[in-house]
Amino acid sequence: MIRIEREPAPSATALVIAHSGALIAGLALSAGLVAASGFDPVEAFSAIWRGAVGSRSALIGSLVKATPLILTGLAAAVAFRARLWSIGQEGQVYAGAMAGWLAVTLAPWAPAALLIPMALIFAVAGGAGLGAVASGLRTRYGVNEIISTVMLNYVVIYLLSWLLSDGPWGEVAATISYQQSPPAPEAARLPTLDERGRLHIGFPIALLASLSCAILIARTPLGFEIRAMGGNPEALRRRGVDIRRLTLIVMALSGALAGLAGVGETLGVTHRLRGDELYGLGYAGVVIGLIGGLRPLGVALAGLFFGGLANGAIFMSVLSDAPAALAQAIQGVLLICILCGGVAARTRLRRTVSHVA
Amino acid sequence: MSPDPQGVAIAVSVLAATVRTMTPLLFSAMGELVTQRAGIWNMAVEGAMLCGAFAAYIVVAVTGSLPLALVAAAIAGALVSLMNAFLTATLKVDHFVAGLALNMLASGLTLFWFRAFISGRSQPTFSGLTPMDWPLADAPVLGPILFAQRPLTLVAFLCVPLVWFLLYRTRHGLELRCIGENPEVLDFKGVNIAARQYAASLFGGAMTGLGGGFLILAFSDRFLPDITAGRGWLVVVAIIAGAWRPLGVLVAVAVFAFLEALAIHAQVLGLGLPHQVFLVAPYIASLVFLTRLRHRDSQPARLGEVYRRGER
Repeated sequence: MIRIEREPAPSATALVIAHSGALIAGLALSAGLVAASGFDPVEAFSAIWRGAVGSRSALIGSLVKATPLILTGLAAAVAFRARLWSIGQEGQVYAGAMAGWLAVTLAPWAPAALLIPMALIFAVAGGAGLGAVASGLRTRYGVNEIISTVMLNYVVIYLLSWLLSDGPWGEVAATISYQQSPPAPEAARLPTLDERGRLHIGFPIALLASLSCAILIARTPLGFEIRAMGGNPEALRRRGVDIRRLTLIVMALSGALAGLAGVGETLGVTHRLRGDELYGLGYAGVVIGLIGGLRPLGVALAGLFFGGLANGAIFMSVLSDAPAALAQAIQGVLLICILCGGVAARTRLRRTVSHVA
Repeated sequence: MSPDPQGVAIAVSVLAATVRTMTPLLFSAMGELVTQRAGIWNMAVEGAMLCGAFAAYIVVAVTGSLPLALVAAAIAGALVSLMNAFLTATLKVDHFVAGLALNMLASGLTLFWFRAFISGRSQPTFSGLTPMDWPLADAPVLGPILFAQRPLTLVAFLCVPLVWFLLYRTRHGLELRCIGENPEVLDFKGVNIAARQYAASLFGGAMTGLGGGFLILAFSDRFLPDITAGRGWLVVVAIIAGAWRPLGVLVAVAVFAFLEALAIHAQVLGLGLPHQVFLVAPYIASLVFLTRLRHRDSQPARLGEVYRRGER
């Protein structure tokens, strides 16, 4: 007789096998999806591949796309590790971009050496501040953080919409409102690393952030508390840890990471404040955080993967009729497969001997 | 002194819009209330509503049939909820993670299919659900508010007493509520907990899908990728604010719908505020709602908890 048992702590091998299996299943399902929608999956995936890594320029484009995804993925991972189901990354990306832009409008005359650090600090503060609001709503008023962060996302998005249309930040010369600010001054453009000025310093910052988060979670007392909060909050409380303070720290850290993603897009890619360029980065971060197994280095890998996918999908949509939104669809399919894969890793089939004669 | 006729006209228009706007929220809220009372904290309401709206759009654009479109909407919503039930009741995945994942899947898939559907052509439009043209609709004041509505609006309001009756006056309703409070008791009795949770999820998903279908067929003549705009989340908030009781949920839905109706009339009301202020009002109101909430004990005790036999 074969019994199905639950294995609370699966081995690393089981996890790797389950994850790879889920990845393959997810890509196969996505290929089926492409075929069912009337496109040639081989053509589509080879176009994505070429668009993602086919040339130096394609590769740089993929890294640029990966930058905000790694940061929002980390933001999700840090919060989820503490079992704080914040999906406020979307609003925090906007808040970071807006706070960074505020720095630019406060000191448009400042040299880059002053303006860039100021914008980055503002962005971190903006994202962290919004995270702190959700934290306060949870610890003080018992408002579930999923719901509060979703609501706050809409509040922030409409705030930006107002600032860019009737508000003070819209492009003055425009007769129709394009929901965008005027271009940023030269000094407010993030420094870049390649000769064509596309790969901005947000990318090394994102990699550094992954490394720092990995060390923070695995090697520091704070990281221990974060993991304990996710595993056994009651034990943590008994040890005398201030859960309110810890929640605030985690939510602010998560918000700060998402805020960096926002300012990176605004001052590193679009060089002006626009809402549509920021849309969906935070929600993608939730997917990437989960697919990365809530481990910072896994998140970095997942971010690179999905950055390449997003960049390649644009190339594919130029070549064929298949829409670039395929990248989002694949994200969703892969996430479901990985969730099921995680369950599979925690399940084992055991042969049992029947004692009934 | 007779009332200012223009003021009355605006007030009537706002209230009529409130009733209209309540419809999709009410369908979804009554459905998800049943799901939540069965202990499943469905966070994929937004995704189910979006899939319902999308399915309705595709079917009406291809066949032109409004009844078929509504059926498709209900099926699409039920499918999303079915996946949620599979992940939570069968695979025992955390309810929050499952819901988040399904929302991502729903927005990704609908966006991709929508772009694939319209690629290389202009988006087909359709003529949607029209208000009823019956004698009551011509009644002064109350006519336009209550009776010059679409038939489905009446159905949505009828759902409130129906769901109340189902939950509080039938054996199935009692057992359903028991699953949300104390599943062990029913498990000992030999009731299949997972099967009941599947049934409740299917009902909730179909109702949410129907709400999404109504949303697009009555409010729009085309599909927009973010057409639900957080309404699924407002439904979740309305259920919490309404303390998991049909009448309370009805009131919460009415408040949200009234705020949205004010946003539609921002220009006419001439308050000189940017329209974003009104658009943002339901979200701020729900946050204030939730901070003022003190009756937490009305929440089903085991809502959102994975049930495994013999473990607590």
